Amino acid sequence: MNSTGKEKKEKTATGKILSVEGDLRKTIKGLLKKLLKNNTLDAVLVPMKAPETESYAWVLLEDETLLDAADPLPPVMTVQGGRALDSITKQGDVYLKIGALMRPCEIRAAVELYKLNQVKLEHIHLISIDCPGALPLKEYMDNPIKSKENFEKIVQKGDKNEALRPVCQICQHFSLLSSPSTEETKASSSPDTENHSAADLHIGFFGGNGKKLCLTASTSKGKDLLEKLELSQDDSLEYWKAAGEKIRQSALKNRESFNKEWQEKIGGIENFTTALDACINCHNCMRVCPVCYCQQCYFDSKILENSPETYLQRAQERGSLRFPLDTLLFHLGRMSHMVLSCVSCGACEDACPMSVPVSQIFSMVGDQTQKSFQYVPGTDRNVPLPLQSFLKDEFCEVEIPCECDQSLLGKA
Amino acid sequence: MSSDFKPNIVGFLCNWCSYAGADLAGSSKMEVKPYLSVIRVMCSSRINSNLVLTALLWGADGVLIAGCHPGDCHYEQGNYYARRRFALLKKIMETLKLEPDRLQLSWVSASEGKRYAEVVNKFSDEITKMGPNPIHKNPKI
Ligand code: SF4
Ligand code: SF4
Ligand code: SF4
Ligand code: FES
Repeated sequence: MNSTGKEKKEKTATGKILSVEGDLRKTIKGLLKKLLKNNTLDAVLVPMKAPETESYAWVLLEDETLLDAADPLPPVMTVQGGRALDSITKQGDVYLKIGALMRPCEIRAAVELYKLNQVKLEHIHLISIDCPGALPLKEYMDNPIKSKENFEKIVQKGDKNEALRPVCQICQHFSLLSSPSTEETKASSSPDTENHSAADLHIGFFGGNGKKLCLTASTSKGKDLLEKLELSQDDSLEYWKAAGEKIRQSALKNRESFNKEWQEKIGGIENFTTALDACINCHNCMRVCPVCYCQQCYFDSKILENSPETYLQRAQERGSLRFPLDTLLFHLGRMSHMVLSCVSCGACEDACPMSVPVSQIFSMVGDQTQKSFQYVPGTDRNVPLPLQSFLKDEFCEVEIPCECDQSLLGKA
Repeated sequence: MSSDFKPNIVGFLCNWCSYAGADLAGSSKMEVKPYLSVIRVMCSSRINSNLVLTALLWGADGVLIAGCHPGDCHYEQGNYYARRRFALLKKIMETLKLEPDRLQLSWVSASEGKRYAEVVNKFSDEITKMGPNPIHKNPKI
């Protein structure tokens, strides 16, 4: 038992290999079809382009012939997958086995919601896929044909270029094969390895040169899927991991300069309010955010309404008063509720009608705060949400006077 | 200018410890600076970030949260959760360079009248030194 590290390595060291028959998407869909056909799954949740327009949505399918129209690698993220899954299981568990094919950040959002008991995962099979990134929604809708061409180049080459949304260019979690795992937290939490993962099954193609896929399972549900797929060829994961790691390292570098740049750009009250200047308080960013978890948002409630006298008084004190009201309160408040779970998915920014760089702001603050809580959202189902757990001996640096060395020792 | 600046500080005090501590400071006639507007809450874990932010955005120059010492919360674990939430809010303010020093968390028990006076006086001095909260000059909030 004390060689768990080694065991884990052994466990994840090989994957199943599959040759791409003609087309990458078709091959991936073939896998889902097989799982539907042999009744391993009762239904699948997949992205699909609308037949008449260029938009995408999630569809829940039971009939495998309908899968032909699905697109496992959509160029945009119209609705965050975590949200879609949330809608399905909001009122309780489903008793059908559903396979949800989603991007890693969508899977991670679903895992955060699972921790909040909002997404039920008992019968859901989370299948993640190497993510090439997504294009900014607005640019895509302006010119879908050209955007798609660009996107195909990105899929083929696997390079995260500037055409993608800013958060995709700094993403560390695009592949669960090379995702920075929470090794330390894994070691310290329960010895049950079953749930120490985001997805049940991962489909990798970075490193396969468009010719091969690599599938790995990290839970018993995932292993079951893999078994039923009856793939015979094993391969060491080393090579596949290295391919992802290379992309990840460059994204990591981008992430560091990104954090610095944004902190400079928006740091301080003047800069911060300037960054939010265009905000019209529509709260779209909150509504589409997968980890904004409340049934009734505080900032949509009547609680913020005040008397006209109050507003006059405030205008008097400040010289003037901006309407819409409470922009700063909304953004800072929302942040302080959910930013530790922010999976940097970019949905908020895609939904913003005013091009406020919301996801970049939240992603930067998310990265910094998550580090101080040593928390990586959505990568491990067994690690509790930071605001729903605590250690007796921690954060004493925020107490004034700090007393970690005196009373606390005797009391805890 | 700063010499006649009288800071406006909001203090959220937990009913069982810090509020009683404040009471004791008063009844023992200790000198406590008069800038703190006290709001009594049942437990430090009652404070969510919205309350702190609302105070900070709409008039306060500083916000103090005071509760029972770790291990002494009357709801057993409330102050541990409060500390995490506070640590997060503070880290957000620090990351965005929004003067995190205007926020303070302290533990004051019912018998620590003296400590209460010290905490309030020291925080009042610090906020006085920092001057008015620049957020209040910003018409765009
Ligand atoms: S804040 Fe934005 S980037 Fe973060 S999880 Fe929510 S929608 Fe995604
Ligand atoms: S902003 Fe806060 S209150 Fe509103 S939905 Fe998000 S987490 Fe809930
Ligand atoms: S979506 Fe954009 S405009 Fe709407 S509230 Fe969010 S930041 Fe403001
Ligand atoms: S009762 Fe005082 S902090 Fe909880």
